[in-house]
Amino acid sequence: MSDLSFLSPDAARRESGFEPRLASPLARALAGAQGVRDLSGLAKIEVRGELDALPQDADLIRITATRALIVCPSERGAALRRSLPGRVFDLTAALAGLELCGEQAMRRLTDLDLEALPAAGKVAEAPAFVFRAGDTFRIFFPQEYGHYVAEVVLDTLAGLA
Amino acid sequence: MRLPQQPQETIDRSRTVRFFFAGKTVEGFAGETLGSALFASGRRVFSRSFKYHRPRGLLCCSGNCPNCLMTVDGEPNVRVCVEPIREGAQVRAQNVLGSLDRDLLSVVDRFGGPFTPVGFYYRTMIRPRRLWPYYERGLRRVAGLGRLDRHAARSRRFDVEHRRTDVLVVGGGSAGVEAARAAAAEGRSTLLVDERRSLPDVGAGVEVLAPARALGVYEGGLVPVDAGGVLHRVRAGRIVVATGTLEQPLVFPGNDLVGVVLPELVRRMVDDWSLRPGERAVVVAADDAGVAVVEQLRRADVRVERVVDLRETIPRTLSAAGKGGRLRAVSIDGEEISCDLLVSSGGRQPAYSLLAQAGARIEHDAARGIFVPAELPPDVEAVGSVTGEVGRAAVPPASFADRASKSRSFVCVCEDVTEKDMRRAVAEGFDSIELAKRYTTVTMGPCQGRLCHLQAVRLYARETGAGEAAIGTTTARPPWAPVSLGLLAGRGHEPTKRTSLHHRHVELGATMTWAGPWRRPHSYGDPAAEAQHVHEAVGLIDVSTLGKLIVEGPDAAAFLELLYSNRFADLRTGRIRYAVLGTDGGRIMDDGTVGRLGEERFYVTTTSTGADTVIEWFEWWNAVWGMDVEIVNVTGALTAVNVAGPRSRELLGRLTDADVSNEGVSYLDAQEALVAGVPCLILRIGFVGELGYELHFASPYGEYLWDTLLARGADLDARPFGLEPQRILRLEKQHIIVGQDTDSESNVLEAGMSWIAKLDKEDFVGKWALEQVQERGFRERLVGFELANGVVPAEGGQIVVDGRPRGRVTSARRSSQLGRVIGMAWVPPELAEEGAVLEIKVDGSLEQARVRLEPFFDPAGERLRS
Repeated sequence: MSDLSFLSPDAARRESGFEPRLASPLARALAGAQGVRDLSGLAKIEVRGELDALPQDADLIRITATRALIVCPSERGAALRRSLPGRVFDLTAALAGLELCGEQAMRRLTDLDLEALPAAGKVAEAPAFVFRAGDTFRIFFPQEYGHYVAEVVLDTLAGLA
Repeated sequence: MRLPQQPQETIDRSRTVRFFFAGKTVEGFAGETLGSALFASGRRVFSRSFKYHRPRGLLCCSGNCPNCLMTVDGEPNVRVCVEPIREGAQVRAQNVLGSLDRDLLSVVDRFGGPFTPVGFYYRTMIRPRRLWPYYERGLRRVAGLGRLDRHAARSRRFDVEHRRTDVLVVGGGSAGVEAARAAAAEGRSTLLVDERRSLPDVGAGVEVLAPARALGVYEGGLVPVDAGGVLHRVRAGRIVVATGTLEQPLVFPGNDLVGVVLPELVRRMVDDWSLRPGERAVVVAADDAGVAVVEQLRRADVRVERVVDLRETIPRTLSAAGKGGRLRAVSIDGEEISCDLLVSSGGRQPAYSLLAQAGARIEHDAARGIFVPAELPPDVEAVGSVTGEVGRAAVPPASFADRASKSRSFVCVCEDVTEKDMRRAVAEGFDSIELAKRYTTVTMGPCQGRLCHLQAVRLYARETGAGEAAIGTTTARPPWAPVSLGLLAGRGHEPTKRTSLHHRHVELGATMTWAGPWRRPHSYGDPAAEAQHVHEAVGLIDVSTLGKLIVEGPDAAAFLELLYSNRFADLRTGRIRYAVLGTDGGRIMDDGTVGRLGEERFYVTTTSTGADTVIEWFEWWNAVWGMDVEIVNVTGALTAVNVAGPRSRELLGRLTDADVSNEGVSYLDAQEALVAGVPCLILRIGFVGELGYELHFASPYGEYLWDTLLARGADLDARPFGLEPQRILRLEKQHIIVGQDTDSESNVLEAGMSWIAKLDKEDFVGKWALEQVQERGFRERLVGFELANGVVPAEGGQIVVDGRPRGRVTSARRSSQLGRVIGMAWVPPELAEEGAVLEIKVDGSLEQARVRLEPFFDPAGERLRS
């Protein structure tokens, strides 16, 4: 049975003279921007099924009673995927991530309740998962919106400057 | 010109500010408004009325009425009475032909009366019909308020901000401030919104948004607040409305003359701006607030000729007369008094609109003659005078007009609706206030009923004999305050999807085009050559936009069997089948492929634009059937590149150790392998009709693998091709594009894909509907056609049978490979025969085409399977 390794960036191999290189379109769109950081390289893992035994030391959003998203450093991804219970899907490549500071900027980007994060909702009209630590927000959204979200975020920050 | 320094004046006499009105420089002081500076410069006429183009002057100085609407720096409908003065502003009059003082359109006032009664536009200019374009052009020139520069770029920035607060207080008067302080003292987050620029200190814990206007109250405690450049969407746990009251004008002949004003104007002119509002004044007022302006008038050295306190005596008649639109005299019960200022007030009406929008019941208080809020919904509170606590006031008559009077008595100055218009509406049978509103447009102008609603209801009550309570109010709707469309539109970003290869396409010189929300390469320069290259060598196309789903679980096969008309339970692992998704009504919704990756795991692709709909559809049915299936959207997770053409096998073979021979990866196989070190799902499918491999792999490797394919395939002449060449290639195979060759009525049977509808299956979504189609017989068929003479018919072009349109062209292209024009069309069933002759309308003439039921290119599919 397929192990869906074609979904996982960390499953690529250097072999036969090939050296696979990762690229983040979001990083390119954010190049040179102040106050925003590309987090697309973090591992993002969706778990479906029983959510009782999820790790305590990783960022986690419970999407539904039987679905959760875990975000962790990329080097932890493969081991975590193996250890998690239930059906596990590597969404590392599906979701781009960015970090930005400032509550007012977030208020202009999303109607999510910023006092009730992490949560799933819309940021800049794109479906997103949002984490918060103090005044720092981490937003994960479908990577195909990367260029667009970067455009909106930078424009929003420009409007506050 | 200015009065000596007044105790509370807001002007800073040490700071002169200059701006331009109609090209001439006007000077004022910091701390005042454009309107007050214009008044100080001697200007009395500020606008021309909507319908009759009568001269109008300052009336309320509160930002409520339409009398001071001007265009400031290109922005129309600015209320200059409250717009702060600013250096260099360009202020212009609007709604005039000529100038404010000589408006040629005022001819309507003089002669248009008999021709422009209420609702005239419903009855006139209808015949002869051919003249309508001229009427329309003329009407468009004179109608409307202000002009937008259609060619101007977005001149101002508008943002939207989402806020949450425990308590929102609307109105920063004493009651509002007190409520805000109390809420903050309880430790609740509190936001106070007020229209004024500066508020007295409200204390700690209260956040103030000013100047800002609450636009309405929506479900869930949502209150949009216009703060100029930012629209705050405030979600409040509790809404406290402290919007106070609105001074009401009186209805009498000549009540729109320049010089007839409301008391608040006098207070602001004298107290804030140290201006003398007139020389000789008459005051007619119904309450203390109105009568009290006598003090300001005396302070401003205005001679008060007469004060009529309506609580003591109500005159039988009251009228104003003027010259050139400006007040000269007032007549009270026949006694004429010379004056240039008439301060008139019919008392104060609670500004209940936000409460009504929130769901409060509004009832008529007969004793005070006003409408007051009652029965507030939960979590909505009213404080201060908006509750109806307006002090002792007289109830003025609906109108002071003598029926014989020839001058107009205006009920609504925004829309120029007169007492006579209202009477006429009643006489014509518009006996409810809601219908009368629509017919006369009373309350529908810029003031939104602030200054006319009460008067309109009173007149209606008098004319119909029903009481005000029975007449009731019109429905209060947002926006409560005027708002610019730019603010509602926001920043205007369009959610756009781009593949991980977007920048490569741009660098390769692709012309990008929209495909639903996606940006895709239309071509890299020469679509025909790109298509031909795929036939002859090898081409790469970015197909990452395809929707991609993983469907897995014990019930996965059964789930797909039920969703699709085709069979999937018997699909072997590592194999793919074409799949058309149908609605309950049997209509084609989407198409794609289903590959089996394991006993309980399938890989489903959808069209590029249908992905989101398909995912919702899957999840909806999964919820209905409650099957043990997980549906995971991996659309963006995977970049997909179709490597197609006779040399594609050689190219792929250079990048992988896997066996990609026809035996290793056969047509319609799905296999996983490392390609250039990247794990790929290889799908051997052939939308473009040549040997081809779709590589699906983790999107961060998009650029790497694309570059590697082009580099390692350089000697094979590997080149990218775009969407347009793909459209040519797929048409050569008569492969349909859902939404292009099908519409919301198409089904698989009539689309010529009966083989995919397994009607012998026990059940699937849309089965019953397809059985009905089979029973009733086909009404149309989707067929291929080729044109003899080489013209390309327009997509959507008519198929003509016996002079009547009987079908339509869905796709048409010139194929270099075939050397002719080919296409697809819906035709009557009797024409769906190989070789049948069709007539297609092209540029007005009929062209002959021949029906082809088989693919135009490689009908046996030998190239695909090679």
